Amino acid sequence: MTEIDKSIHPELERLHSLRAISKHGGGPDKIKRQHDRGKLTARERLDLLFDPNTFYEIGILGAENHEKPDADGVVAGYGKIDGRYAGVVAYDYTVKGGSMGQVGEEKATRIREIAMKSRFPMIWLSDSGGARIDPKSGFGASTDTDRVALFANTGYLFKEESLMSGVIPLVGAMLGPGFAGTAYIPGLSDFVPMVKGKSFMGLAGPALVKMAIGEDIDENELGGSKMHCEVSGVGDLEVEDDAACIQVIRDYLSFFPANCDLKPPRKEFSGDPLALIEDQIATIVPDNTREAYNMHRLIKLIVDDKFFFEMKPRWGKNMITGFGRIGGYPLGIVANNPMSYGGVIDINASDKAARFIWLCDAFNIPLLFLSDVPGFMVGSKAEKDGIIRHGAKFIHAVAEATVPKFTIIVRKSYGAGYYAMCGKAFDPDLIVAWPKGEISVMGAEGMISIFARKALEEAPEEDRAGIVSGMADVIKPLLNVKMAAAKGYIDDIIDPRETRRVLFQALEFTKDKKIFRHPRKHGVYPV
Amino acid sequence: MVIEVKATITGNVWKIVKEIGDTVDEYDVIMILESMKMEIPVEAPQGGKITEFKVKEGASVIEEDVVAILE
Repeated sequence: MTEIDKSIHPELERLHSLRAISKHGGGPDKIKRQHDRGKLTARERLDLLFDPNTFYEIGILGAENHEKPDADGVVAGYGKIDGRYAGVVAYDYTVKGGSMGQVGEEKATRIREIAMKSRFPMIWLSDSGGARIDPKSGFGASTDTDRVALFANTGYLFKEESLMSGVIPLVGAMLGPGFAGTAYIPGLSDFVPMVKGKSFMGLAGPALVKMAIGEDIDENELGGSKMHCEVSGVGDLEVEDDAACIQVIRDYLSFFPANCDLKPPRKEFSGDPLALIEDQIATIVPDNTREAYNMHRLIKLIVDDKFFFEMKPRWGKNMITGFGRIGGYPLGIVANNPMSYGGVIDINASDKAARFIWLCDAFNIPLLFLSDVPGFMVGSKAEKDGIIRHGAKFIHAVAEATVPKFTIIVRKSYGAGYYAMCGKAFDPDLIVAWPKGEISVMGAEGMISIFARKALEEAPEEDRAGIVSGMADVIKPLLNVKMAAAKGYIDDIIDPRETRRVLFQALEFTKDKKIFRHPRKHGVYPV
Repeated sequence: MVIEVKATITGNVWKIVKEIGDTVDEYDVIMILESMKMEIPVEAPQGGKITEFKVKEGASVIEEDVVAILE
């Protein structure tokens, strides 16, 4: 961009100097403190987020006091990410702790409206003390009745964000604190990356928690990145620093269309998408069904350039969810993880998979299911946790999804786990198995314990194991997918090395897939 | 560079399949844990030489415990 000559007219000089005031944020001292904390300023983050010279700031002249212009705690605008527009609200911690005042609210509202009308993604870079409790420009902390009453006319953000969901991609990145109301920004977003050790979120911060319920807890334990990415599941990805956070936002959005009416963008791919995968993929799955293996390694061999963008990698680890590409086409992957509890589907695994499927379906991203699942979790703990409603949520999401769906039975696929991992009844556009695949209502041992219970009870204790293993030897071959393939229930059994080729063709032939459903407002979601 | 090899799940160390001094590649199985009736391999996160085991066979481990050291 060419430098603008600011001196040709005093009015223009004044305009540019006003802009410069805003660009200074909280001033050198506050900026230094922000850097000392290992954090970037809002504007530095925006420089990394957008393609060079594409960011246009709206409301830069916004000031609480027009006679004494100053920077605001919110920077809003739009710019291009890999050539496509996205809107942003970046909280500037160097200005009054990034708190939200009246002007900030106006700006944030304006960019939200623009993003929604023009239908491009919306990104929040949160680093904020929350609503500004300040007598001059905030929402309260004053005996001025007008100020206190202001709050009654706020909250539009959360309603609007809810209504934006599924229309345009929403990213709620946490780069600093986000307590109280601001915590619902990530809560209502599709994707929530969190900077390690520096970001926090909670419906109330430590001081309010202490006041309300007497609990002594620091912000890290209450709502730190580790807690949310490993325990609560509210965070999607814990990242090392601000730059890494911005990078994952760019990577994430590269899989998405700008809105729900568009197809996800195909990335240029220089290799041959029909080429066979290297031989090692054929030896990853062990013969012994009790032996676990690395599903992540398997996924990386299937996707382009081994690039797998995983969502919630440290939460609900028995279910793997994330994005990859085949021949440049984006693909959402849902896979069981035998390394974690044998890949059993519990409440968190159900929740994680259901949400991911809704996300992909909303934005026309085809789904790949890699099934190696012993079934849903059973037992009194699982029932008390509500495994039925969580499991129902997963099944509901798979059934409802109209995007192209591809199922690969990698190894076992038992019980309702087979259904949820997009079994035949759930209309997969392709359902194939690898040679070690098994489809069954349950594993051989489970079946024997039921139908041979009487025989086992009557047999002497020392003979029981022998009886079970003898019967299992007879039953196991019947579970193999050869039977399902012979009856035409599945499309094929493939050589694992053919997996990319088969999926690439499926991605191509389903490009114009259309499904019509009974009209309804929406399902009654089991959640 | 020292690389920590961590247990991927809570369980018991069933078998240690490598020895100190062995050179391993990424994804090579170093030991096998037993958990939830499954055999869960602990793999090398990257290539290196095993310099230390932090556990013995039969020991119980918690997810994220360091079980071996590579160099």
